[in-house]
Amino acid sequence: MLGRRSGLLLIAILLLSWEMTSRTGLVTSENWPPVSAILAGLVHETLYGDLVQVIGATLSRFALGYVIGICAGVIVGFTFALVPFVRRMFEPIIELLRPIPAPALVPPLVLFLGVDDLMKVTIIAVTAFFPVAINTMQGASGVEPIYLAVARTFRTGPTRVLMKIIMPGTLPYVLAGMRISLALALVVTVVSEMIAGASGVGYYLVLMQYAVRSADMYAAIFVIAALGFALNAAFLAAERRLIFWYAPVP
Amino acid sequence: MGRWLAKVAPGGIVLVLLLWGIEEAVDAGLVKRSLMPAPTDIGRILWELFVDGQVAGPLAETLARLGIGFAIGATLAVIMGLAMGYWPRVYGLFEPLIELLRPIPKAALVPPLVLFLGVGDAMKITSIALAVFFPVLINTVQGARGVDPVLIDTARTLGVRPLPLLRKIILPASAPFVFAGIRLSIALGLILAVISEMIAGTGGVGFLIIDMQRAFRVRQMYAWIVILAVVGYLLNLLILAAERRFLFWYQATERT
Repeated sequence: MLGRRSGLLLIAILLLSWEMTSRTGLVTSENWPPVSAILAGLVHETLYGDLVQVIGATLSRFALGYVIGICAGVIVGFTFALVPFVRRMFEPIIELLRPIPAPALVPPLVLFLGVDDLMKVTIIAVTAFFPVAINTMQGASGVEPIYLAVARTFRTGPTRVLMKIIMPGTLPYVLAGMRISLALALVVTVVSEMIAGASGVGYYLVLMQYAVRSADMYAAIFVIAALGFALNAAFLAAERRLIFWYAPVP
Repeated sequence: MGRWLAKVAPGGIVLVLLLWGIEEAVDAGLVKRSLMPAPTDIGRILWELFVDGQVAGPLAETLARLGIGFAIGATLAVIMGLAMGYWPRVYGLFEPLIELLRPIPKAALVPPLVLFLGVGDAMKITSIALAVFFPVLINTVQGARGVDPVLIDTARTLGVRPLPLLRKIILPASAPFVFAGIRLSIALGLILAVISEMIAGTGGVGFLIIDMQRAFRVRQMYAWIVILAVVGYLLNLLILAAERRFLFWYQATERT
């Protein structure tokens, strides 16, 4: 499509001008390294440095916190949807905790759990929890009434109704929540490493900022962006396989 | 009245029980006071902060940065979004760039911004504006592209020029999406305000929270977190009220 080509051209032009303004000395600033230097540094660090371990540290924290968060979210979401009384009991507390910006939870968690992985995993799990819980609850409560009525006509037992009707019907919502949680959890992982970290990409980023190693700092940003992109793509691929049958009801 | 009570009662009771439980645990020495102060202590600090007028300063600082950043980011995003939504060439030109920049967590942009702009307000406002820009832009584009073509064609037939068309037809028609984007961006903007203050601040709520933590003044830290949560909640209510006022005419076309 002609339109998209112009967009890609724009990106190329911007990258080129970044490179040139830096190399020709048009912009003389330590904070303006040439793109090639960033990429070269990236390759160098990956091969000879410990960039792989850094990324691994971030990803392992992220994965652990994410899985715990979404599991808790699914369980709570289903419980809230199926047992309205429990929902009425605990929803206000959750609604009170939800608006608290995630970085504001870092200091108290640091007091409780220190600056180690436990604190970061906890805050990642908490962040991942909310979108999944809300979406699951919405999905489970919003199952097509017709399906439930048909099940009742056929006198289907509650377990079968749960397994065969409610769960598949909720799955698209759960996955949507999981996708939102994915992005949020990655951000919180990086932020917690920035604010109170000792390893991981976020910590590396802030470290490079303090050391004014701007090429490595931008490289870290590239890495973070690439991580987000890759995780999202992987998730979409998995989603497409799982719910190929889903078409939103108009 | 009875219905409302029945709805609110279970949650309220659990909340009160939780707070009372924490209070008792702290008093009994089960939880270290340095970690989790008694809720009544936090409440007392909150009261003192309000009475002494110490809340206004930092809160105003943070909200001012948020407000300015939001105004800049949202305005640019709406203008660009409308342009991208209306002219396919503009859309094609900028869409790959936007898609490239969008996945970058805006918090990760704070360190380079610090190198460029220092640790002052300019850095914080810029990072807030960046965080606000993308959600509003994407939602505006979605809204503008989804405007009923019949409306646009009718306007063109009646000889409406592009700029008034954008302002009077496409903008109102995309308003629901724009508001959804605004609601999301306020939350993100607040997060970035807090982060930028934590990483490189000298004032404001975010800075105070981390400062109190470092100084182990735990009760103050929790007090400020509570204030932050309340602010976030009130901002959300504010947007919802504005939404209701501006979108009273809008009915979601999808009804099950």
